[in-house]
Amino acid sequence: MGSSIKNKLSITVFLFTVVTLVTFISCSTDETQTVTNLTSLTMSDEFNAPGTPDPTIWGYDIGTGQNGWGNNELQYYTDRSENIIVEDGMLKFTVRQESFEGSNYTSARVLTRGKFEQKHGRFEARIQLPWGQGIWPAFWLLGDDSNGTEVWPQIGEIDIMENRGQEPTLVSGAIHGPGYSGGESIFKSYELTNDRFDTGFHVFGVEWGENYINYYVDDVLYNQITPADVPGEWVFNDDFYIIMNVAVGGGFVGSPTDSTVFPQEMLVDYVRVYQ
Amino acid sequence: MKNKRLIKIKRAFVLGLVLTLTLGCERDLTDDAVPATFAKVGQVFIDDFISMGSNFYFPFEGSKLDAFSVDTEEGYDSSSSYRIDVPNSNDPTGNYAGAILRIDGAGRDLSGYDALTFWAKASQGVSVDAVGFGQDFLENKFQVNASDLSVGTNWAKYTIPIPDPSKLTEERGVFWYAAGTQATGGSGYVVWFDDIQFENLGTVAQPRPAILFGNNQAEETFTGATIELTGLTQTYHLASGIDQTVEAAPNYFAFTSSNISVATVNELGVVSIVGGGEAIITATLDGVDADGSLNITSLGSFSPAPVPTVNATNVISIFSDAYTNEPVDYYNGYWAPYQTTQGQDDIEVDGDNIIKYTELNFVGVQFAVDVSTIDVSQMTHFHVDIQVQGNIGSGDYLQVKLQDIGADNAFGGTDDSADQLTLTNTTLVADNWVSIDVPISDFAALTSRSNLAQVVFISDATITDVFVDNIYFYELSAVPSEAAPTPTLPEANVISVFSDAYANVAGSELNPDWGQGTVVTQESVVGNNTLKYAGLDYQGLQLGTTQDVSGMTHLHIDYFTANSTALNAFLISSGPVEKAKALTVPTTSGWVSLEIPLADFNPVDLADIIQLKFDGNGDVYLDNIYFHN
Repeated sequence: MGSSIKNKLSITVFLFTVVTLVTFISCSTDETQTVTNLTSLTMSDEFNAPGTPDPTIWGYDIGTGQNGWGNNELQYYTDRSENIIVEDGMLKFTVRQESFEGSNYTSARVLTRGKFEQKHGRFEARIQLPWGQGIWPAFWLLGDDSNGTEVWPQIGEIDIMENRGQEPTLVSGAIHGPGYSGGESIFKSYELTNDRFDTGFHVFGVEWGENYINYYVDDVLYNQITPADVPGEWVFNDDFYIIMNVAVGGGFVGSPTDSTVFPQEMLVDYVRVYQ
Repeated sequence: MKNKRLIKIKRAFVLGLVLTLTLGCERDLTDDAVPATFAKVGQVFIDDFISMGSNFYFPFEGSKLDAFSVDTEEGYDSSSSYRIDVPNSNDPTGNYAGAILRIDGAGRDLSGYDALTFWAKASQGVSVDAVGFGQDFLENKFQVNASDLSVGTNWAKYTIPIPDPSKLTEERGVFWYAAGTQATGGSGYVVWFDDIQFENLGTVAQPRPAILFGNNQAEETFTGATIELTGLTQTYHLASGIDQTVEAAPNYFAFTSSNISVATVNELGVVSIVGGGEAIITATLDGVDADGSLNITSLGSFSPAPVPTVNATNVISIFSDAYTNEPVDYYNGYWAPYQTTQGQDDIEVDGDNIIKYTELNFVGVQFAVDVSTIDVSQMTHFHVDIQVQGNIGSGDYLQVKLQDIGADNAFGGTDDSADQLTLTNTTLVADNWVSIDVPISDFAALTSRSNLAQVVFISDATITDVFVDNIYFYELSAVPSEAAPTPTLPEANVISVFSDAYANVAGSELNPDWGQGTVVTQESVVGNNTLKYAGLDYQGLQLGTTQDVSGMTHLHIDYFTANSTALNAFLISSGPVEKAKALTVPTTSGWVSLEIPLADFNPVDLADIIQLKFDGNGDVYLDNIYFHN
């Protein structure tokens, strides 16, 4: 979720590689990959109780953070039901275009910091994404800061799913750590064929062990990142907490335009964590 | 044997029932669902035509007929493509390239696809005017247009979404295009298309249909009016992040009126006003509410302007349903920055088109730039019907200005001339049609009439809402071209003053010397003797004997005048007691036969009629002056 600025050429080349790999991986799993099936449930929220999200699991980030949460994002995060509510068996994020506390957009960012944190495991959520230029939904994990003694990127960041609203068929998964953060993060994209992420629900997850993070969308394992893939210290053997949010604007997606439709919704059917 | 067979049938019946029930759970079939029995081929041109039959290329009228060829050297990922050579704008064989591709044979079932896709490139960066499908030169029932498609010099893929694929169960119009040179300054260019096909991309999503381009439009109108809904579009978000909007035929939409006692709407999006009141027209496309609405306020029944009676051969019409109109640039130029006037030829009531201006300060009807100016030098009169909506205050006015741009045929220079007529509440009547007929000579400062360019209405916002109809120029011959109608009443019912049809009152003086300036003559019009007053100021007619016409009911007069703007007829009894009757002038459609009830001349003593008198101006022809019952 750190700002990722890459020049256009390298992205293009990278995407091409991804498409090729996806085709390959989705056909058969590489022998050298570590694949586990973690099935012992340690936390789940099925969002079946209408109203405010379960306060024993979810807290909120409020406001605009520093410098638009470090990314020049345009939204003001609130915990109002207009922006975040459990309804119809879903956690519903609503992104609004409205003048609020000096911002032109409102949205929400929920997190399990201090409520649920876990080292390693399988983290997944079933989500229908919002859409449109400048909309930036994310489902990600951030490392505990050890009571403020560590700072990003040393604490580590695992982005399970990020999407640019203008790219409705693409998501990406990334990790950020010391020496490989922001635009230097280690990431890979995944493209749906003959479908989009904003017209139905898809499962986004990682299976994370001591020396690997496997990324999957639905039943397709599309990437594995290991210490050998990162140019710096492997900082993913610690407690991490979950964050879900929908940002507006910022370097990763660019600003919304007149054609961006508001309000936008991100619907989360469930979040489940296994060990 | 018989028994066995029965069992078999029973089994089949049970099986059938089960299947039906299962289907019923899965999906409700709509009443108009038809089993698709047509080919599901999506491909149109993949390096060559696919299953199109032999006679499938139909160029548009006015297009260069042979602009299309199959290029055997260029192609996307191949060496073959559909090539169009867009001609230069001055190509005598056609100044654009446009055609439909219609399957020669049965239509295709395209309901399983969500878009027409193709690859295209051009010899230079161009904006191709329109590309689409669903045009078959038959009903064009499910036509789709993607306008102003930007095509560059490298192959790129284009996606034209289908507004609602379920409609396309039997479609023959699989591709069409129109490419001209307006954006290239008249220079021709080449466009190549390849891999033209319908695809099920699965990524055509987030439909946002619209009517009236998504606007909530308010319309004040009348019973009998029809309004065609325009701006029918469907917008999809594509995998590329692009919002692709296409114009969609009305048949893709389902229209609804909130009040069918005020307005109904048919499947072609034509709204018919059937009563007074308010109604809102909305639409859905494939179950999705369309943006935009038409908010109708119907004022109920509408009185049209009087139907013009001037013979069409003597008319140059700018705006009238009674005549063939001259082409115009516009009925409202929306002249920036000071014009506030809205509206133009917006109203159609029972086939009668009417101009409606609102928020009027000034507005012009122009015929000069995209069309020719109009030569009205042979015309003698100008006509316009005006209905002012609402109160007309004492200082309010409406000027009608005629603008000529002179022999240079251009605005400016030294040869422009214009003049205007100012109408006030002495002429205009609130909420009623008033017919203005004036000699063009009244526009004295309009020194040239050969290059008329504008009719301008100016109120400076004193009058803001008007209807305008029947703007035309006409030529009134100074001399009647035919005789007055021959009377048909029996002699016994008539006391005649001046007519060839009857014995006239003997001894009458047709030109008594009352000090008038009028020149009286009797002239033969097509063999019929006619009384002519030239240069009328006033003119008497002394009866040979006093007449008792109390047994009569009407005074009949035939009159004709091309140039009079005021004319009164008087009946006079001893005293003298006289009473005037105003006659409508000029007579724009030949002789006028007028029956004046004698009661209108009260208090003149009908048993003691001694004289008749006319006053006014101009040259007037009279015939068949008689009393009758």
